[in-house]
Amino acid sequence: MDMTRKKKSSLKLNQSLLLVFVIFGLIIIASIVNPRFIRISNLVNILQQISVLGIIACGVGMLLIAGQIDISVGAQVSLMGILMAMIIERGFKIPPDAANAWMTAWTIPFAILATLVIGAFLGLFTGFIVIHSRASSFIVTLALGSVYKGLALLISKGSSFSLYGKFELLGRGQILNGLPVSIIFFVLIVALTYVLLKYTRYGRFLYSIGGNRKAAFVSGINTTRVTMRGFISVGLLNALAALILISRVGTALATTADAYSLDALAAIVVGGVSITGGKGTAMSIFLGVLLIGLVGNALVVMNINPYLRGVAIGTIIIISVTFGEMSENKR
Amino acid sequence: MDSRPILQAVQICKWYPGVQALDCIDFELEEGEVHALVGQNGAGKSTLVEIIAGSIPFDTGNLIIDGSTCLNWGPAQAIEFGVQTVHQENQLVEEISVAENIFLYNLPRTKYGFVNLSHCIEKADELLGALGIDVSSDRKVSSLTFVEKKLISIAKAFSLKAKILILDEPTASLDEHGKNVLFELIRRYSKMGLSTIYISHHLKEIFEICERVTVFKDGQRVSTSRVADTDIHSIVHEMIGKSSDKLFKRSIKPLDRSAAAETLNFSHFSRDSAVKDVSFSIRAGEIYGLAGLVGSGRTELANLIFGIDRKDSGTVLLKDKDITPKSPYDAVRKGFGFLTEDRKDSGLVLVHSVKDNISLVNLVKKPLGDGFLRLGKEEDETKIVSDSLDVKTPSVHQRVINLSGGNQQKVVLGKWLFAESNIIIFDEPTVGIDVGSKSDIYKLIDRLAAEGKFIIIISSDNPELVSVCDRIGIMRFGELVKELEGTEISEEHILQYSLGVEAVQVQGL
Repeated sequence: MDMTRKKKSSLKLNQSLLLVFVIFGLIIIASIVNPRFIRISNLVNILQQISVLGIIACGVGMLLIAGQIDISVGAQVSLMGILMAMIIERGFKIPPDAANAWMTAWTIPFAILATLVIGAFLGLFTGFIVIHSRASSFIVTLALGSVYKGLALLISKGSSFSLYGKFELLGRGQILNGLPVSIIFFVLIVALTYVLLKYTRYGRFLYSIGGNRKAAFVSGINTTRVTMRGFISVGLLNALAALILISRVGTALATTADAYSLDALAAIVVGGVSITGGKGTAMSIFLGVLLIGLVGNALVVMNINPYLRGVAIGTIIIISVTFGEMSENKR
Repeated sequence: MDSRPILQAVQICKWYPGVQALDCIDFELEEGEVHALVGQNGAGKSTLVEIIAGSIPFDTGNLIIDGSTCLNWGPAQAIEFGVQTVHQENQLVEEISVAENIFLYNLPRTKYGFVNLSHCIEKADELLGALGIDVSSDRKVSSLTFVEKKLISIAKAFSLKAKILILDEPTASLDEHGKNVLFELIRRYSKMGLSTIYISHHLKEIFEICERVTVFKDGQRVSTSRVADTDIHSIVHEMIGKSSDKLFKRSIKPLDRSAAAETLNFSHFSRDSAVKDVSFSIRAGEIYGLAGLVGSGRTELANLIFGIDRKDSGTVLLKDKDITPKSPYDAVRKGFGFLTEDRKDSGLVLVHSVKDNISLVNLVKKPLGDGFLRLGKEEDETKIVSDSLDVKTPSVHQRVINLSGGNQQKVVLGKWLFAESNIIIFDEPTVGIDVGSKSDIYKLIDRLAAEGKFIIIISSDNPELVSVCDRIGIMRFGELVKELEGTEISEEHILQYSLGVEAVQVQGL
């Protein structure tokens, strides 16, 4: 009894521990090359930079645990960014002496609410198409990503919307002497993901559907409904990510968030969420996001060509997936 | 007849983990003969023909083809020699023409290396004409009827200059005409030296078309005889073998039929031609068996009952209360449990722990908004379930994939028991399970019946049904053709009704 317990815990440690080692190794090397790396301000900066990726990755990660993939997230975030920026721009354009000038004050709350509603709707729509087309979610969301991106370009006519000074709280705001609001959201979402996955029936159903969809169905789980909720959560978290991202960047463009689709997937796979579903934790998502964020920052700080980021991240994904596969097959 | 053997299997053995599929089989096929291979499900027929076709290797013994011992016998060698198999299921490529299918492995080409379609169709028409098959070869396979597809599959086998033809249930879903065309073909080619191995559950056909018949049982050859020297009921007897001791003795047996136990009525379950108007009833504490050949509609019926597949009709009444499940979720809420045929495919989340698997249905059943999971309590409770079923696992945190088949099956059962299921359907409960665990499973089923649950067991293992069930319903072609009870229950009866040879009086009954 003791033996298998030990065996299990040591195996479990393997994946997360490896990541922790890699992360610490990276921090140490980067700090030696450039001591500025380890400064609190830089670390806060890194966390702030990865908060958007982290929020997106939590949604996609939970979905991947249920065995579904969504690679339209980047386009979803871009589309919502455009819509939100347009709402805000309109709201602030109302002349102060117009009859509906009172609306200006309500622009920001309305834009936030509208973005969340649009996010939920995009998730619902994506989920609906994936479930009812019965095709693989990879192909369907690849196509939908193209649709969303096209819509974003159409609506924005390819131009950008500037929001400087109008909406800064979520992306640039700080509380308690320099703690960025976006980091608080990031940490809260990770905590929420942790609780959902570990302590709720919904979380357990996600794992079961991802682990064996047929067995979950025969056990009475409404696989369609649970999968749909997974997609809606992705949409909602994307909306939050769009709010923070646009607020931080200050401009919205139809291609602003393009890279997030693959970065989010990379982060959760590096973290150890099984690409076929059924396995992974909030901690693995968090560590994966942290690693991806650190790599980008470390390259800049170490004065290495930042274009190497793509090569480095790709290499890390391949190594971690190979390692995951190996530790899986050892059994 | 002074025929020479074209194929000899000498003392062939084949082991799979935990089972011996073939136990020193001797089998001989003469040139130009049609040789029937019969036996119950799992007797080893398929294993033997797959070995002959080279698709699976054998462990010990010799395969002598055309007088020489074969080493490294694989699919390529088999095809090279001329072994062709026509499988029960359609194996043609649907989206291309009949002609291309027939010559798929050897398409005629033009001098530039492209496929010469017109030549291909010409050759195919020639072949089909010679075989007397009235299908034009430029048609797409997907436009053919089932019978035409079967005939084309056979034509394809002939086109490859077959010397040994293996037909696996060739007449399943063939009508009388199709069957006659097929038999005519077989007779004609046999005269020209083609040797045929004919697998069928339709024993009457064997007397029409075959010269010799070999009976398999439990991986062993029981007999080989000329059909002229035998008859249907001696074959049935040989398929069953000597009646062995009962596998298992029930603790409480004869049910007191007068007792006012609760009755569960299943009425008019139908879907297309798979399940045709099946009705039966069970009393609390009764174990009801569903027998029949593979494909007779038993699993399909269970899927209808449990709400997995759409049904045309069917209701379940418990003491006049309608409890028909509309979906698996509904079934779970109404106290149904279903241990599916393939526990790895649809029974367990293999990569998850014993604890997570056992508690799954219970979680589904709990009312919504039941708050957070209490992991400590869950661990304690699932451990109690696991211990009460005697699941051999170091802890409930062990992943199910690491357990043996018997213990995995206990985990599936535990899942339904933890959710307090009251009506439990077992589909092939002991397939792939070692002997020791089998008797554990029987004991558990017996215990559940004693607790007053409703139990349905679907099994192709007839001795199992005979020793465990109070009543047995037999299905054939989607219909419930017979119910056996009390002293009527015997392997002979089950087999007779499953095969549809009830008219034949079996000796000694």
